[in-house]
Amino acid sequence: MKKAKMELISIQGRRRLMNTLTQAGAMLTVAFGLFWLCWILLTLLRNGLPGMSLKLFTELTPPPGSPGGIANAIVGTFLIVMLATLIGTPVGILAGTYMAEYGQTGWLAPITGFVNDILLSAPSIVLGLFIYEIYVVLVGHFSGIAGSFALGLLVIPVVVRTTENMLKMVPNRLREAAAALGTPQWKIITMITLRASRAGIITGILLAVARISGETAPLLFTALNNMFWSKLTQPTANLPVMIFDYAMSPYKDWHDLAWAGALLITLGVLGLNILARSIFKQKPLGR
Amino acid sequence: MTTQPKPKIVVRDLDFYYGQTRALKNITMDIPEFHVTAFIGPSGCGKSTLIRTFNKIYKIYPHQRASGQIILDGVDILAEDSDLNRLRARVGMVFQQPTPFPMSIYDNIAFGVKLYEKLDRSGMDERVEWALHKAALWDEVKDVLRRSGYSLSGGQQQRLCIARAIAVKPEVLLLDEPASALDPISTARIENLVIELKKDYTIVIVTHNMQQAARISDYTAYMYLGELIEFAGTELIFTRPSRKETEDYITGKFG
Amino acid sequence: MANGSEVLIEENIIVGSTVSGSSRPRTYSMADQLFKNVTRFFAFLVLLLMAAIIVSLFMGALPAIRKFGIGFIGSATWNPVTNVFGGLVPIVGTLVTSTIALLIAVPVSFGIAMFLTEMCPARLKRPLGTTIELLAGIPSIIYGMWGLFVFAPVFSQHAEPWIDAHLGRLPLIGLFFSGPPIGIGIMTAGLILSIMVIPFIAAVIRDVFEVVPPLLKESAYGLGATTWEVTRYIVLPYARVGVVGGIMLGLGRAIGETMAVTFVIGNSHSLHASLLMPGNSIASTLANEFTEAVGRIYTASLIELGLFLFIITFIVLALAKLLLIRLSRMEGKRS
Repeated sequence: MKKAKMELISIQGRRRLMNTLTQAGAMLTVAFGLFWLCWILLTLLRNGLPGMSLKLFTELTPPPGSPGGIANAIVGTFLIVMLATLIGTPVGILAGTYMAEYGQTGWLAPITGFVNDILLSAPSIVLGLFIYEIYVVLVGHFSGIAGSFALGLLVIPVVVRTTENMLKMVPNRLREAAAALGTPQWKIITMITLRASRAGIITGILLAVARISGETAPLLFTALNNMFWSKLTQPTANLPVMIFDYAMSPYKDWHDLAWAGALLITLGVLGLNILARSIFKQKPLGR
Repeated sequence: MTTQPKPKIVVRDLDFYYGQTRALKNITMDIPEFHVTAFIGPSGCGKSTLIRTFNKIYKIYPHQRASGQIILDGVDILAEDSDLNRLRARVGMVFQQPTPFPMSIYDNIAFGVKLYEKLDRSGMDERVEWALHKAALWDEVKDVLRRSGYSLSGGQQQRLCIARAIAVKPEVLLLDEPASALDPISTARIENLVIELKKDYTIVIVTHNMQQAARISDYTAYMYLGELIEFAGTELIFTRPSRKETEDYITGKFG
Repeated sequence: MANGSEVLIEENIIVGSTVSGSSRPRTYSMADQLFKNVTRFFAFLVLLLMAAIIVSLFMGALPAIRKFGIGFIGSATWNPVTNVFGGLVPIVGTLVTSTIALLIAVPVSFGIAMFLTEMCPARLKRPLGTTIELLAGIPSIIYGMWGLFVFAPVFSQHAEPWIDAHLGRLPLIGLFFSGPPIGIGIMTAGLILSIMVIPFIAAVIRDVFEVVPPLLKESAYGLGATTWEVTRYIVLPYARVGVVGGIMLGLGRAIGETMAVTFVIGNSHSLHASLLMPGNSIASTLANEFTEAVGRIYTASLIELGLFLFIITFIVLALAKLLLIRLSRMEGKRS
């Protein structure tokens, strides 16, 4: 009798100990994660903030040893990302629409869904390699457009997935209600279901834009870099590759520009993320 | 049987399948024009399935199919090449839960009208007002027509959906448990509306509320396990049902 | 059966005609067909893109595949001068760095998710959760730069000498932990990768933990279960499909990551047992050498590496899908 009671207490004690230990462990992991991330962000601020000046936004990337800014890289990134979004978004929305609205039967939707998952996790550098093979080699030189194609390939699977998910979240009763009025299916989709999932799809697009804005790898063999202003048909300056080149260089003033660019692009990406979130919060799906 | 009014919808040997499951068995009935017909029965009896064949809304889903005949004004709508959208413009439907579209109150009603009619601005304004009046919603929304349909209360949303269905001027109005998600006051409003509307429309209503069927319908069909057990004048069904099963259900000995 | 069926009007049925008696305008079936086919085309385009990627990489790699055959995978030689290439070093580097990253990131992410869903005070929940999500969006090049300029010097001064002196002396596993304190290398790359994927995995695990029905947890707490027991025996089993998905997402990220690795891995094509020594991953090799590669065989070898990278991510994803299908089947059987 007494022994049984003792055992019970020791089981309770072990359980309590286990609980205390794991809870402490969980708190430690939070501290661990936040420690690194704070360190990284502080480094970024400390090294990047001194470089923030008007010159950064107005002057061209300089040769080592002379003053300059990163205006051409900022504009280049902006143009490349915009074109990539224009290429990737329509493809993504239409393909996602097919999968959600017409995909209940037939072989195409499930296979496209699987392939889209692969594209979604495909290494971005491989996509750059692909565009190099089929476009850069063909045209004969690097260009901003090639960069946009590579980034567009990153946009497509994200938008396909969000569009599909958002459309599938639209309750079927809304489709039934629209169909019950004699609405043809293409109007149900374009005017009712896509509209009901508008906020979610826009959020997805913004998150895709945020993701490609900071992508470096696909631009290495496509947009390359440029010290000067250029058209998108030529090698085009862009922040990520500029940061990579300058950070890997042995020059101190180039390092400073790289940090300034890194801070800028991080702020931009975080800003886009916050914007995307606020849009989705404001207008939740349906009611 | 007393004098039989002209049938609007004639159902003959109707079977319905969800994939392999047979949900309706050999239904044959005539839905009379300009009257209210109610379908009652325990849940899962097929009453909703039956009403959903009248505008072929089940066609949205790939694995649902119907066989037999459903004859609307002399034409078999189950024939493969019949135009679904035109059929649905003639046979309107209101669902269990309110389903406003993601647009303004005004556009919710104009949406369906625009599909099949070209109206100028004032014509459309008139139509919207007419439909909202019919649905007894006009006084509540006339100043907020540009607001989103989602801004209305549940009962108002349901009346908006009725107004939307009426606005396209259908010949038949199908109501699938239109008041089951609503409070008693909104329910009473919608019941009055149904009685009002039968002057111009053939109305079919599904309800699990027997009192509601007794209050508003002229004919009542009792269904059980996919079969039509009894179909007759409402008074007859509720006072002298001819089948034992119907009597059990109505007197509450069942389910 | 039903009465009220005396009125037979079957003779009037016009079988097979469209619904008549309406002045309503034309049907929409043409537009419907058109719209459906347009969307179908774009869904098909996604398939086509995937096929094009595989074919173009394969074609690009063909000269190297012809020359080196299957031996490419097993060879550690990487010599642009003699034009002899083998992919062993970068392939191993990719796998090892990703493994290190997951070994650290998975438990940490699990802890963070457990803290956020079961322990966190309500006031901190939203801000902490949002912070994690936002951090998942930081461009990877930032991690790489920080790793090179900040982490590597600190690591080489304070951590590596200790690792070399203590772990490096142990029998057997010492082999993996001995070497000069240079700061950059496989270990550093794995660490940076783990820091980078923690927010990803933590955010996904947190999301799937959150959808566990509160009722389920409450009934366990009601029985006197501790936080750990609820997480371990209620939340984790309920959410495991999502957890596996999150881990696989992180693994996919780690395998294909270029910038966070390229800065700190050391870009060396020699094979070492020690994790402190510099090495290479597929992505970093491509990033460093592709634009400067001259000659058909050199370029083709690099593209073949890219093809392998693609195949590895494909295998990881396929395994994840299989695992998920098996998990959900088991769930089906149990219930």
